[in-house]
Amino acid sequence: MLDAMIKGFGTTLKTMFRKPVTISYPEVKRPVFERFRGRHELKRHDNGLERCIGCSLCSAACPADAIYVVPAENTNEARYSPGERYAETYEINMLRCIFCGYCEEACPVDAIVLEHNYELASYSREAMIYTKDMLIVPPPPGAEGTPQQSYAPPPQFMENPSTHMNRAEGPPPGGRITTYVAPEEKVSAYVRRSLLDADRDGVIDDEEYRS
Amino acid sequence: MANEQEMVTIFVNGEEVEVPKGTLVVEATKAVDLEIPVFCYHPQLEPVGMCRMCLVETGNSLNRDGTAMVDEAGNPTVQWGPKLVPACTTPVNPGMHIRTNNDRVEDAWRGTLEFLLTSHPLDCPVCDKGGECPLQDLTFAYGPDMSRFYKRNKYHFEKPIPLGELIWLDRERCIYCSRCVRFCEDVAGDPVLKFAGRNRGQEIVTDSVPPFDSYFSGNTTDICPVGALTTEDFRFKARVWELTNVPSLDPFDAVGSNIMLGTRADGIKRVMPRQNDWVNGIWISDKARFGHHFVGSSDRLTTPLIKENGEFRDATWQEALELVAARLGETVEAHGAEAIGALIGDRIANEDAFLAVKLLRDAIGTPNIDSRLHWPTGTGVEEAVAKVGLSSGSNLADLGAGTVILAIGTDLEEEQPSLYLTVRDAVQKGAQLILTQSRSVKEMHDAQTPLRIVPGAEAHFAALLLRVLFNDEKPDFGKLGGGDELYDGIMTLHPRETLNQTGLSPEAVDDVVAALGNASNLVVLLGREAVVNAGANAPALVDALVALLAASGKAGQLNSGLLPLLPHNNSQGVADMGALPSDGGATSDAMLSGEAGLRAMWIIASDPAAERAASRATLEALDFLVVQELFMTETAQLADVVLPAAAFAERDGTWTSLMRRVQRYEKALEPKGAALPDWQIVRRLAAALGADWPGCYTAQDVAAEIAKSVKAYKGMTYDALRGDPVAWTKNAFGHHIYSGTSFLNAWYGQQWATEAEGRRPKYDLATPALQEIERGDGFRVIFQNKQYDNGTLIARTELLDGRRSSGFVKMSPEDAAGLGIVWGDPVHVRVDGRDSTLPVIIDEALVRGAIVLPRQCSDVNATPALGTTAQFATVERAVEAMPA
Ligand code: SF4
Ligand code: SF4
Ligand code: SF4
Ligand code: FES
Repeated sequence: MLDAMIKGFGTTLKTMFRKPVTISYPEVKRPVFERFRGRHELKRHDNGLERCIGCSLCSAACPADAIYVVPAENTNEARYSPGERYAETYEINMLRCIFCGYCEEACPVDAIVLEHNYELASYSREAMIYTKDMLIVPPPPGAEGTPQQSYAPPPQFMENPSTHMNRAEGPPPGGRITTYVAPEEKVSAYVRRSLLDADRDGVIDDEEYRS
Repeated sequence: MANEQEMVTIFVNGEEVEVPKGTLVVEATKAVDLEIPVFCYHPQLEPVGMCRMCLVETGNSLNRDGTAMVDEAGNPTVQWGPKLVPACTTPVNPGMHIRTNNDRVEDAWRGTLEFLLTSHPLDCPVCDKGGECPLQDLTFAYGPDMSRFYKRNKYHFEKPIPLGELIWLDRERCIYCSRCVRFCEDVAGDPVLKFAGRNRGQEIVTDSVPPFDSYFSGNTTDICPVGALTTEDFRFKARVWELTNVPSLDPFDAVGSNIMLGTRADGIKRVMPRQNDWVNGIWISDKARFGHHFVGSSDRLTTPLIKENGEFRDATWQEALELVAARLGETVEAHGAEAIGALIGDRIANEDAFLAVKLLRDAIGTPNIDSRLHWPTGTGVEEAVAKVGLSSGSNLADLGAGTVILAIGTDLEEEQPSLYLTVRDAVQKGAQLILTQSRSVKEMHDAQTPLRIVPGAEAHFAALLLRVLFNDEKPDFGKLGGGDELYDGIMTLHPRETLNQTGLSPEAVDDVVAALGNASNLVVLLGREAVVNAGANAPALVDALVALLAASGKAGQLNSGLLPLLPHNNSQGVADMGALPSDGGATSDAMLSGEAGLRAMWIIASDPAAERAASRATLEALDFLVVQELFMTETAQLADVVLPAAAFAERDGTWTSLMRRVQRYEKALEPKGAALPDWQIVRRLAAALGADWPGCYTAQDVAAEIAKSVKAYKGMTYDALRGDPVAWTKNAFGHHIYSGTSFLNAWYGQQWATEAEGRRPKYDLATPALQEIERGDGFRVIFQNKQYDNGTLIARTELLDGRRSSGFVKMSPEDAAGLGIVWGDPVHVRVDGRDSTLPVIIDEALVRGAIVLPRQCSDVNATPALGTTAQFATVERAVEAMPA
């Protein structure tokens, strides 16, 4: 028992003579680990479109009920995200958030990511509700922000020629075309992959598919 | 019925259970709480066996002769089938063994799901069905964790295409179960959806103009087992698990369909059916589903308004109510209480109407109260319902062979859409539908005996039925009063003359009487049009129908009785609460025509100025008009004080359906602005008038008052109206909200009993006093209701604008030919002193000498006072006929 006491006080004694680690925050900020979970960011694709599709899965996963999403539909005149749906309103109540990262895990399109900012203090409760404007990252250099205009008509290969039996050619009256195709040079890896998925022309090519 | 059926013993995974003979395997296994996964099977639709999801292994334990099957050693054995069979199309046999818990079956389920998903886009995160999707749930439960098919080989379609303005079709998600096609064809009777294409290119198409032309289209989105069909109304509004579901009722027709309001962030996001097999089953009409937008409409009244120098200004409740109390007080002092009249709309809750009537009768002391603006007053139909209304405990869903449904002047699909589905279902199950109409209506195609009657001769027809039924032999009326007079009165009728007036053939009448004689139960549907067309004969029509039910011995029997198709959600309830003229009080017609000589009026939830142009002058001439409304209607604009009321979703209350079922609905939202529930407004007004009603602090308290003082509502407190939850449909994984429909229902309410149900009924029969059918110059006008009209509430749903009726005039082919008019020609119609130019629609079933005009549709506002005199119109061609 004495042994243990000596050992314990020894540790204390050793530490007493060590140089103290004082970081003079806020002038100096402590670096965080790569996987640190700080303030959220809503990410964008390389072409500037928002990743978030407004699916509310983050909000469903959130144990603190901190996320509020209101979805809306993309149109060709005002496009926010690839596909049909985007988040019109996206709010996180940082006072509720427990920074568990479940939202990030739930997101099917890697839109919400907990980043390294931990400086979240504020003087009012209202200011702690982070809106979409505050959460979304700026578009990458050279890319347009949102909303964007989609200019390309839906490509033919998305249509099945055998299905024009009872319909007139082209979009039905009052129809919305929500197929999005970006020009080659602008497409992100994500969009290119989904375009590839849609291309049914070639025969099954294992090599190509795996690459 | 179920207990009369022969039972057979089957074995489900070794467990012995008895089920009725002929049950499908998929239903039979529910007896041991085993849910077989299905996609195309639906309990309300004919099974087709299209999806192969429900494969199970079956075997026999009995030989053909019924002896137990034994193996060589003489032990009982089961002979298993060589192949799996679809549970949804296979009925059970005695001694059948069903197995689902082995590799073979699980493999089949896994394989079917893997195939179904080969071309599924798997876009659950953006799919409105996600969260209540059978494909999702079954894949989680039984599907493979990996697919062996390449994603790039998926078959793609253009993302959603509209099937009309209301429904979107995402063809990639469709699994070709044909539930939507079968619903439209079999249940709704609108065969507008079809399959087109073959193979993986197969798709659902609609071939009607306008596309998906059905009043029930929304139901397909509920039963679609994937997200292929979704509604425009709920498109990307919220995820289903984020909704708060509040039990409520259809605020439009009088059937009282049970609905669920899915709300989020203080708004209604969607309306879904709430299963109630005594009312609407699992279906609702599109009007109920999409018509809720008036609640959230931006032009709702949010604050009390007082008119000063011809302009409205905002006021506080206290100010407004004190002014109303003071002005009403002045009127009573100067002209007596009889100078005050009230029009109580039949949309408000029982609680509202009860307090309003109490205030008018007890505190103010006026008998001038009426709630009938869309149905004639003084037809005696309220008393008739109390005597021989559809017996309580009846379930129209049980109707089938042996039932006769006598529909007089009905237009079910346009006026009571949910009831149309019930009647159509009954006819399919073998009930006989006898319909008298003067024009074409949808149920004419369902009716085995459609009779084209001269408009106005409805009462004569009913009396003639009695005459033929009596056939010189007085039936036994038991303790009922007036039987002798009735018999003598009817026997004085001249059958041939009466027949001639109806325009029917003698064989047709004989057929009807024969059918009535053979019927095991008799439901009489009394349509609004019959009562309006009968005009002065309406009371005789009602008397004759009461007599018919009594004479045929059907009055008071289960699943029999009179069912008037009242116009609005609570027409029955407000009448029960006493909102009808009594003690010589003025009717709505008398009040609005100025005949009653009123000086002040209180109008709740009615818009007479818009619906009866002639009443405007009377309302303008009043000293004081107070209007209690949701919107600034034309009537409200004439008011001195306007009081903002809360919409149905913003409060709780009870409504009474046309089957006299008293049902509760719950508060889902906060009222807009300063709006208050009607009963609270009445209560505050009563306080301002010095009447003190202690103990009425919630709608529940008021309902308790009603339960004490209204005889029929005895014991109907809020607690009593909420029963033990009933689940009519058993569902996978015990889901109660599944595919959107809520299957668990505790709010099904109660029906009040009629006199005929008593052990020794003692009501009086009246002898129908037939009068001459009105004749006039020109065409007899029949006013038709359209489902999507310009009514105060439904006009606020912009989604339906494309389906709203514009004005038209229907003519019979003979009359049109006589005027040299073809379909679509414009004609000048002059009715009730007003001219309109309308396109002609040729109605093959319309009787000669009559035209049909829609009520409350654009271009035509000809809605004269009801139940007074028949309207006649002149019709002239507006353009030169095309040279032949
Ligand atoms: S980090 Fe956790 S608590 Fe915070 S928003 Fe995400 S899920 Fe919710
Ligand atoms: S952040 Fe991700 S999970 Fe959340 S709504 Fe957007 S796409 Fe869905
Ligand atoms: S649209 Fe839905 S209901 Fe119709 S066939 Fe396809 S999956 Fe079935
Ligand atoms: S459910 Fe039996 S085949 Fe579809």
